[in-house]
Amino acid sequence: MAQLPARFRTESQRYAVEDVPFSVPAASEVADLSNLINKLLAARDEEHKHVEFDFLVNGQFLRVPLVAHMEMENIPTEEVVEIEYVEKYMAPQPEECIFHDDWISSVQATEEWILTGSYDQTARIWSLEGKSVMTIAGHTEVVKDVAWVKQDSLSCLLLSASMDQTILLWEWNVERNKVKALHCCRGHAGSVDSIAVDCTRTRFCSGSWDKMLKIWSAVPTDEEDEMEEAANRPRKKQKTEQLGLTRTPLTTLSGHTEAISSVLWSDTEEICSASWDHTIKLWDAETGGLKSTLTGNKVFNSVSYSPLCRRLASGSTDRHIRLWDPRSRDGSLVLLSLTSHTGWVTSVKWSPTHEHQLISGSLDNIVKLWDTRSCKAPLYDLAAHEDKVLCVDWTEAGLLLSGGADNKLYCYKYPAIASDVGA
Amino acid sequence: SAGSRSPPRPGAPARPQQPLSVPWPAGRVDCPSLSCPAFVSPSGTQGCICVELCVLHHPHAAFLSTLPQDIRNTVGNIPMEWYQDFPHIGYDLEGKKIYKPIRNKDELDKFLEKMENPDYWRTVQDKMTGADIKLTDEQVDLVHRLQKGQFGDVHFDPYEPAIDFFSHEVMIHPVTNRPADKRSFIPSLIEKEKVSKLVHAIKMGWIKPRKPKEDTPTYYDLWAHEDPNSILGRHKMHVPAPKMKLPGHEESYNPPPEYLPSEEEKLAWEQQEPAERKLNFVPRQYRCLRAVPAYSRFIHERFERCLDLYLCPRQRKMRVNVDPEDLIPKLPKPRDLQPFPTTQALVYRGHSSLVRCLSICPGGQWLVSGSDDCTVRFWEVSTARCMKTLPLAGVVKSISWNPNPTICLVAIAVEQSVLLVNPSLGDKLLYGATDQLLESYVAPEEERVQPVQWVAATTEEHGKGIRLVVQHSRPVKQVTWHGKGDYFASVLADNSNMQVLIHQTSKRWSQNPFRKSKGLVQCVLFHPIRPYFFVATQRYVRVYNLLKQELTKKLMTNCKWVSSMAIHPGGDNIICGSYDSKLAWFDLDLSTRPYQLLRHHKKALRSVAFHKHYPLFASGSDDGSVIVCHGMVYNDLLQNPLLVPVKVLKGHALTWDLGVLDVLFHPTQPWVFSSGADGTVRLFT
Repeated sequence: MAQLPARFRTESQRYAVEDVPFSVPAASEVADLSNLINKLLAARDEEHKHVEFDFLVNGQFLRVPLVAHMEMENIPTEEVVEIEYVEKYMAPQPEECIFHDDWISSVQATEEWILTGSYDQTARIWSLEGKSVMTIAGHTEVVKDVAWVKQDSLSCLLLSASMDQTILLWEWNVERNKVKALHCCRGHAGSVDSIAVDCTRTRFCSGSWDKMLKIWSAVPTDEEDEMEEAANRPRKKQKTEQLGLTRTPLTTLSGHTEAISSVLWSDTEEICSASWDHTIKLWDAETGGLKSTLTGNKVFNSVSYSPLCRRLASGSTDRHIRLWDPRSRDGSLVLLSLTSHTGWVTSVKWSPTHEHQLISGSLDNIVKLWDTRSCKAPLYDLAAHEDKVLCVDWTEAGLLLSGGADNKLYCYKYPAIASDVGA
Repeated sequence: SAGSRSPPRPGAPARPQQPLSVPWPAGRVDCPSLSCPAFVSPSGTQGCICVELCVLHHPHAAFLSTLPQDIRNTVGNIPMEWYQDFPHIGYDLEGKKIYKPIRNKDELDKFLEKMENPDYWRTVQDKMTGADIKLTDEQVDLVHRLQKGQFGDVHFDPYEPAIDFFSHEVMIHPVTNRPADKRSFIPSLIEKEKVSKLVHAIKMGWIKPRKPKEDTPTYYDLWAHEDPNSILGRHKMHVPAPKMKLPGHEESYNPPPEYLPSEEEKLAWEQQEPAERKLNFVPRQYRCLRAVPAYSRFIHERFERCLDLYLCPRQRKMRVNVDPEDLIPKLPKPRDLQPFPTTQALVYRGHSSLVRCLSICPGGQWLVSGSDDCTVRFWEVSTARCMKTLPLAGVVKSISWNPNPTICLVAIAVEQSVLLVNPSLGDKLLYGATDQLLESYVAPEEERVQPVQWVAATTEEHGKGIRLVVQHSRPVKQVTWHGKGDYFASVLADNSNMQVLIHQTSKRWSQNPFRKSKGLVQCVLFHPIRPYFFVATQRYVRVYNLLKQELTKKLMTNCKWVSSMAIHPGGDNIICGSYDSKLAWFDLDLSTRPYQLLRHHKKALRSVAFHKHYPLFASGSDDGSVIVCHGMVYNDLLQNPLLVPVKVLKGHALTWDLGVLDVLFHPTQPWVFSSGADGTVRLFT
């Protein structure tokens, strides 16, 4: 079988070719097909410049010769194959490498600033150019997670969660470059491993090693909440530890039987938490009730939710990234497994702008950029780290960040393709 | 009617009504009416002549021979008896009656005529007309020939050479010169139609291929359904009759003299009961075989023999045929026994020398390891981050995290002391409470004599986390906690009765439970639930009841030298690893001998461990591998534990011929830690 009938289709008007069946060589690969499309475009338009395309057959990226792909997907070769093509995603461009003093446990970036939490008990704010702006010290233990609450031109609110069982709410005055601890959120009886701020920016939730999920107010006030269990603590000691006003949780959600490793807000009133007890639980933040449980068979390290495709992606203590439908009522259903890592997947993050793409960091020192339409192989491997990758982030500006045990934070610029994103 | 069977004769009339008008060629015809050979004379006479009857019975035969006028009878082929009572015999062509000739001859006339008429022998009567016909010479000759079985025609030569017209040889001239038919060179539509019908039928499955012929003849097996146990079935169970004794010298016609009985013996024989006699005959001597008389008891003995065979009880000895494969218990596939650790996930690097011992906090967040580089390191399990390093004075021999989740305390055996260290990891409240608990100790008023010294840590040591130092007189080999977290036991490298000591942390009180040494103690263990204490010496494990203060059991390990011991969380099963690379599983309810002895490792076992929740146990060995086994213990007392090796985990490099030194399970996840001589701790998940 030397030739296959194929019909090419694209969402982008700019690169559309006429909708007639072509006969393409069966053994042609991505480069051959790309050349073919480019020739067709050049024949129609003199001005056309060479563009690399990527091809989707039956919603799966073509990575092997066409005939092999169709054999794998069980597509009959007698009929006309519908091949969709998109402009090839450009490789992420390395931007910055920011050096830290210790392992980087968490990272969250905005349009202007990067906030990282580190094992040297500090959180740091960096500019996008990689300049250290601020070092936030105050925790007595490793900082496990950081989050931005609010950002103004004058002052920013940010959170840092630590192994010392507290979450600190900081106010960072941008102009004067001063940071002040507003509140010290106490209540957890274990290391606070994950925090997430809701979309109204007034509340946040935290998951801890003590199996509890707590919801806190993120609004700074001048009042101090009462501490119930302060009785058996030496008065003197408590005073010296005090950093900011004490705050107690609004709600405590218990239900997990093991440590909670990752929390997020999947909706305005819905919290999703992943735990070491092999479950992902969805909670109603208003009533504090458990909505549903997704059960896996491995410890979950990280979970991420994309409002674009309404899917959860989870990284667990095996090689796979699993995609879940949180709305499916029939419990645990893995929609798709992305497998290419060779170590635990420590961190996953959906693209905020693209419904098919996510990045993942793993203990095998590699950050992978995935497209869910190509579940066998990632789009790109970002192999810059020399040690375990512990955290990844993806900003709306198209910046990929990853930090790890080699004390380095790598930034990549990932150009989103305008024509494709618009479609 | 004759024409249909005879060779083709052009223009041959089928009916005899027109015999005169047409020449009648000579030849043989078959007569349909009488089924006898019919003969047609060369003159045109047709007749049927049976070889025996020799009668010309043809209705028209008469006039042909003698009568000048045609008096042909027209009655046809009917029985002429119908005209018996009439004066006429039929009708001629004009419809006039044919009258029978006047027959007034009596027998005398007939006889006279027979004697006088020289042609009488050739005169026959025509049945149809009743007239007498005198056969001509030719006709007589013909009759003679037929009687002899010869052809009627004189000139016919039956032996003339045959000329083969249609031979296999292709002649230059065709037999027929007709051009070939059109249908011979166009495909036949009918055939096509038939073939297509067949093809369709085959496609639809209406026509099935012929069944292959069965060559073997089928016989009805009469005995196929017979029950072998039935009375008839016993014929199959043939039991050979016991063989008769072969004749000996006594039976000889000329036995040696010592076999011949003396007179007294003969008398004694005769006086004995026949059943008591040793021999049932008297040996006798004869001069020659010819002189031996007929044996009078022959029939009797044959009968007895038959009676014996008939009455002898026969029982078939059933031999049990057991396939040895069936005796091996069926083990489930490891794949069905998941979860268990399969791959190496994390490597905890930091120690510079061999890591001798491991322990984990009850929550599973922190791991502690003691090494020969005189440090103890605390690790975060999930990231392999070294959270704390505690430098000590000597090699760390054993380490044990307090199993009580409300107490944050680690016992470390270093040289001659056991250190109680608060690692200050985890919940602040917990480790604060632990410190308070230790500080709340009030020394008793009177000093008691103790085998060890309890010393509170100095300020410098306190800063490192050390809270208490229990100073022994000898190097400490092992330290292990009781499940409640107050008592701990230490094993000293000593040969006296001071080998095992039990300490109480809250009262800072130590005691020596044993008065006598029973051997070199390798390791000790507290029962997780009941007040039992296990002491492993080189070859035995002794189980002591701490309440009654007595020896409960002594387990024989069948090993040369026990290295390590672990107890199932249920408390009824124990595994022992030994330096002769055996792992013994004891079921305490079952026996004092090992329930199973597993020899999976190639070299000495250094450490064994049970998982707290999952049915898993692991063993680490000097060959650098950790073998994880599925060890299911059932609540049903009748069901024995199920032990299945599920995974060999490799990863540690061999250093100084040492591989894995300690194995440890995570308290909640199906993960196993192993520490090795290469200075690493590895986590397999």
